[in-house]
Amino acid sequence: MPGADVVVVGAGLSGLSAALSAAQSGARVQVLAKGHAGTHWGSGGLEIAGPAGVATPREGLKRLAGTRGHPYADLAAEAPAALDWIRAALAAEGLTFEGDLDTPLALAPTSIGGTRPVAILPTAQAAAARPWVGERLIICGVAGFKDFWPDAIAASLSRPRLWGGAAGPERVTAVTVELPGLAGRHNLNALELARRFDDRVWRARAIDLIAAALESAGRGSGPGRVALPAILGLNDHAAVYDELRKRLPLAPFEVPLVTPSVPGLRLYYALRSALIKAGGRVRIGEVIDHVDRQGDRVTAVATEAAARTSTVACGALILATGGIAGGGIVAGKDGHLDEVVLGLPVEAPEYGEWLSADAFDPAGHPLEAAGIRVDRDMRPVGAGGRPLLENVFVVGTMLAGQRYLRERCRDGVSIASGRMATRNLAAAVPAGASRGAWAGVRQ
Amino acid sequence: MTIAEVVREASLEQVGYSSDQCLKCNVCNTVCPVARVTDLFPGPKYVGPQASRFRMGRTQPAQGKGTPRLASPDVTVDYCSGCGWCTTACPAGVKIAEMNSQSRARMKAGKRPKLRDWGLGQTDLTGRVGVMFSPLGNWALANRPVRRMMEFTVGVHHSAPFPKFSRRTFQSAWKRRQKRLGLGSAELPGPDKAVVYFHGCAVNYYEPDVADAAIAVLRRNGYQVIVPPQVCCGLPLISNGIYGQAREKANSNIKILADYARKGYTIVGTSTSCTHTIKAEYREMLDIHDDDAEVVANATWDICEFLLDLHDKGKLDTDFGPLDEDLPYHAPCQLRSHGIGLPAMDLFALVPGLRARDMDHDCCGIAGTYGMKKEKYGIAMAVGAPLFAKVKASGATEAACDSETCRWQIQGATGVRTRHPVEILQAAYKAADAAAAGKVAGGASGGRA
Repeated sequence: MPGADVVVVGAGLSGLSAALSAAQSGARVQVLAKGHAGTHWGSGGLEIAGPAGVATPREGLKRLAGTRGHPYADLAAEAPAALDWIRAALAAEGLTFEGDLDTPLALAPTSIGGTRPVAILPTAQAAAARPWVGERLIICGVAGFKDFWPDAIAASLSRPRLWGGAAGPERVTAVTVELPGLAGRHNLNALELARRFDDRVWRARAIDLIAAALESAGRGSGPGRVALPAILGLNDHAAVYDELRKRLPLAPFEVPLVTPSVPGLRLYYALRSALIKAGGRVRIGEVIDHVDRQGDRVTAVATEAAARTSTVACGALILATGGIAGGGIVAGKDGHLDEVVLGLPVEAPEYGEWLSADAFDPAGHPLEAAGIRVDRDMRPVGAGGRPLLENVFVVGTMLAGQRYLRERCRDGVSIASGRMATRNLAAAVPAGASRGAWAGVRQ
Repeated sequence: MTIAEVVREASLEQVGYSSDQCLKCNVCNTVCPVARVTDLFPGPKYVGPQASRFRMGRTQPAQGKGTPRLASPDVTVDYCSGCGWCTTACPAGVKIAEMNSQSRARMKAGKRPKLRDWGLGQTDLTGRVGVMFSPLGNWALANRPVRRMMEFTVGVHHSAPFPKFSRRTFQSAWKRRQKRLGLGSAELPGPDKAVVYFHGCAVNYYEPDVADAAIAVLRRNGYQVIVPPQVCCGLPLISNGIYGQAREKANSNIKILADYARKGYTIVGTSTSCTHTIKAEYREMLDIHDDDAEVVANATWDICEFLLDLHDKGKLDTDFGPLDEDLPYHAPCQLRSHGIGLPAMDLFALVPGLRARDMDHDCCGIAGTYGMKKEKYGIAMAVGAPLFAKVKASGATEAACDSETCRWQIQGATGVRTRHPVEILQAAYKAADAAAAGKVAGGASGGRA
């Protein structure tokens, strides 16, 4: 069997952060994941902390760090450095972000014509977060693309209450562009459009058409910005955005869409590429069959394979299986919550207490905070608070005590816990703990 | 239909049933190599789980009388290459590729297959005839006007990669050798001293060198090789939607191999696609659910998986000689469906001096016989283009890949000789022997041979 120093289960943001961090410290890292989800379903931005009522992510961090049982109680101190670290790693792969922990949370348009608080965004989305000072906004859609309806979005965003008391755009209008070679198509999806933008020749024509439509739509008006669906290239995105920015009379920004999320794909592929360069390996399509243990240590992970299982020996195991939404924790019909890889105890409210009486309760539902309780090193703990296993670490949305959707802390917790889990790896993985062959060829 | 029947059908048709798990999240569409390069295929989600409601949830081709023949509502399912990436990437466990293969078969069920698709499925027939008339066959396959004619008449692309036919089949060469050595009727060594070799059509008709390498490497590690009579695994027929005949092939192989498997012999194959078909597709795709099929599946190993397992048990001869070379490696799609990682890369790491590098590309494009077809050749070449560019840029003089049609595709597109991993290992053993011989012959001053 191949042997890794660290096996990471899950290939979302927390799993890849942990894997990259471990690989950079010299460990032999194997990622095993059932499929893609967390990154591919996300907005591609980095939500660090944004519970209701805070002005900046830093203030959010402080608030959540003081929330009893929240992962940030232990991780908040780690979060700023972890954020800098992941941004540097992503920048090296050509994926840059704007904003920082002290950037005021501002409202940015969504693809269904709502707004959401944002601070740290990919460069191509960043213009959405700057304060509006009397500019207009043009929503620019693509003919035949049904995940982004410019007229409906413009009509919705024209309502002042959407902007939460802050100044919004002076005026919101819509325009639809027919892109080259797509006349009559009415089933376009974001990914195929993004791939067309990767083509230099095609995108030069497309950008000309967008520029022409904006000029005729906004003739005689003052400065403004233009919102486009997040389709501006996948592999050559930075160049696409740069060309568009230089060519358009208005500041462009991407609005993230429903799945397949192109900004999420960019994030995944940038992290994966960084990991492979650092010597890590990624296997997708792997379902964990069982984990071998010896005393309070895990020694190997077996995945389902054709006709048998396939085993990877490991010195440490990092669980990044995505909590309830990601399939790392499943609920039985009797209301019992199971952690699917190791059967770790799940901290959760009683079955009858899962949901609030009001489906839209602003405080959310108690079940959202269900997860695995860990110690300061991210090791799962039992009732007495003592670690159950010496070399197992739990990260990301698996962690108990967070309500990441309303606290807007998913990405920050994922990155910080991934870093934290690998900080003391040398102590957790004694020399010679991992057996087996390893194609340690660095690219 | 009674409830018992509904339950039975649901459990037998795991593949079709899995569409219930689909969240419509589009992750499968993001990894499809074919949809990446052409608008002719809308993506696995659209023709797979999304189209399931038009098939009443059924995907298996009708087998009995009275089963409704609900074809796929979307003929573009024929542009699925069957690489399996969609199933791999699905976060919800939907068997999308399997669903699409069955839908294709369902679409074609009851119709006479295209001569071309039928012919590409008949690897035993074309192989046997080709070997019989190999000088003529090899001349024809290398002759441009003939290839143009083939493209025009039957629709096999004139540039599609075809290897040369052997002068005799591996089966007959093996029998001769056994006879010459007087081993024909010798008693079989026990299952701890011998393995059954499933050679597949590629070795039988085109690539005897791969068998020679496999046999040499197995022998080196203390295993004699048993080569029972066998037929095509059936995958080319499955890929071309000809399930009935595929089932016949499967049953023939299962019947022969089950006896060995029950006696405890391991069945080792050098074609990742054949071994995956035996391990998984006889049951999942062809719906063969008897004890023999299970026993054979459980006994079947890909050769690199087997060798790495030996290494894990401390039983692999790791006395490899140095190979001072760059070796680009492509992991075939079928290997990924095995779910065993990249055993060849782990084995290469044991060879001193060998700089093997995973090209980390999803699919070479050929997908069995897909890229040989006139209307799909361009798609296949576009799918593999980034891989070909990487292999060429490596400057290497040879590359490695576990699956035969992928090897032919890579070699055809790049001009770089592409070999089975076991051939590389054989070369490393030879290098060790040469070094040892050099030492004996030249003493302390003996250089590397």
